[in-house]
Amino acid sequence: MVRLRSPQVEENIFIGLMIASTFIVVSSLILILATIFIKGFPALNLDMITKTPKGGYYLGKEGGVLNAILGSLILGIGATFLALLVSLPLVFYLNLYLKKNSKLALAARFSLDVLWGIPSIVYGAFGFILMMFFGLRASLLAGTITIALLIIPIMARSMDEVLKMIPFELKEASYALGATKLETAIKVIFRQALPGIFTAILIAFGRGIGDAAAVLFTASFTDSLPYSLFKPVATLPLAIFFQLGTPFPEVQQRGYASALILTIIILCISIFSRILSGKFTKHTIK
Amino acid sequence: MEIKTHISVKNLNIWYGQHQAINNISIDIPDKKITAIIGPSGCGKSTLLKSFNRLIELQDGAKVSGKVLVDGEDIYDPKVEVTHLRKKMGLLSQRPQVLPVSIYENVAYGPRIHGIKDKKKLDEIVQRYLIESNLWDEVRGRLNSSASKLSIGQQQRLCLARGLAVEPEVILGDEPTSALDPLSAECIEQRLLELKNKYTIVLVTHILRQAKRLADYIIFLYLGNLIEHGPAEEVLNNPKYLKTKNYLEGKFIEEPKINKELNLKRTAYPNNFVTAKLALGDLEFGHIVKIIVDNESSAIEIPKAIEHEGHKILEVRKLNQNDWEIVVQKHNGGYVI
Repeated sequence: MVRLRSPQVEENIFIGLMIASTFIVVSSLILILATIFIKGFPALNLDMITKTPKGGYYLGKEGGVLNAILGSLILGIGATFLALLVSLPLVFYLNLYLKKNSKLALAARFSLDVLWGIPSIVYGAFGFILMMFFGLRASLLAGTITIALLIIPIMARSMDEVLKMIPFELKEASYALGATKLETAIKVIFRQALPGIFTAILIAFGRGIGDAAAVLFTASFTDSLPYSLFKPVATLPLAIFFQLGTPFPEVQQRGYASALILTIIILCISIFSRILSGKFTKHTIK
Repeated sequence: MEIKTHISVKNLNIWYGQHQAINNISIDIPDKKITAIIGPSGCGKSTLLKSFNRLIELQDGAKVSGKVLVDGEDIYDPKVEVTHLRKKMGLLSQRPQVLPVSIYENVAYGPRIHGIKDKKKLDEIVQRYLIESNLWDEVRGRLNSSASKLSIGQQQRLCLARGLAVEPEVILGDEPTSALDPLSAECIEQRLLELKNKYTIVLVTHILRQAKRLADYIIFLYLGNLIEHGPAEEVLNNPKYLKTKNYLEGKFIEEPKINKELNLKRTAYPNNFVTAKLALGDLEFGHIVKIIVDNESSAIEIPKAIEHEGHKILEVRKLNQNDWEIVVQKHNGGYVI
């Protein structure tokens, strides 16, 4: 008797599907990088990263985007730091102090999941209303706070998943030696979770520095370098948005160059934090 | 020989949600001896052990009633500082769980959190307890490398050193050799035998030969009930009750089929014994009667007297605060269920 669906055929079909998915992911990354590189590289020069926009043409066809580079870095790092201040205590509370099926933990995790899904333009609008309420104008501070709100769910939920994976026996071992919950959290759990926490921070930072919609109303845009918390600040995503939106091909090309710079920044921070996390985690239990 | 009690359990009940894991256990654990808790899996051995350092409280839904006295002090008293209690109770768990720090820091962790900051003193402590747990020679050159890189047997000895470094009075072992290779297991057993001069050791084990090798005192649990306890010699070689005997012989443990139930509450010894004796007289050989009494002296005296009559005591068990259950089989020359 002939078996039409032999296990081997089935296996091959699914392996084919898996390979196709992997291919789509990898190739789209390569395509995006290639596009940015091909279109942006010719316009990339030292001026781009050392000068502010100059030479008219709306956003300038000369000079550079140093204002946006610095603005994005300050805003991204500031927001990541703010988000970390909220996320770390939150996830330790969820995982060490609350019982597994506590209502509060359930509510907190549900809120984070919903917040994760809210579009960043809504965060921008919310940040704007908040800003108005406190009498702030579009500024570095308002942008930082809005981006922090945007990335808290991402950071906290990723860290939460990491802490959930910590074996119960490890906590037990620490408690059994007479350690308090706080000592256990700081000296044991934190160390074991450090690689995951680094990754969570990185994901959140990448999301924060790359977001345009949330800073559109709250941080606004400026040609000058950031110099005050209470003054508007330029950011790379908005610079790209404005540059690509102009009718001038020269400026559009500079938009791709800006995108290339943003990508390189994220890549550098990625690699840097990997190296850093490797240094801190040589004792981690695999 | 006068035996000093170190841990005294009184009417201990433990529930996980609706499930009762420990059923009204009262027992005294002797000082500076190795006490082995034996019994089939799921009988509450680990639960009982973890109630001694209140780790049981960390389990979701665990509820404890009753008392555990350590050095005469009830550890479930709200005034007791739990960290202080746990410092007194070193734990060796089933799988060694090293901390994600260096070998040195693993041992120094406990003393550090209990306030020792002096580097020289810490060095001394680390060396002393690594020697005591027989690990020093293997790790002296690489104290700063990761503890997680050690072999599993070495990790367990490191856990022992880490536990000893906080200077406990009791060592609780939750099947501490079950994940280890035979050589490492023997090494741990050897350490425990040496340590029993200084520490009270309570050991959960499902390896009967290990209990035979190590234990001075045996506690046999079955389905959350304390079935039998006593000096190791007696319990292992000459068990009093049927369930213990079956377990030791590797036979299936089942509840005896009760032919008659006799409620002798509110009667005193020897009146209740006479009633029981008459009831036994009416039974066929091999049939089983369950007698319930409500005072401890009857629970001690009736089994003795009945045994003297030539019948077989299958089990004597405390049911709750007041009541005891005595299961007797009318003698016909052997165990028949």
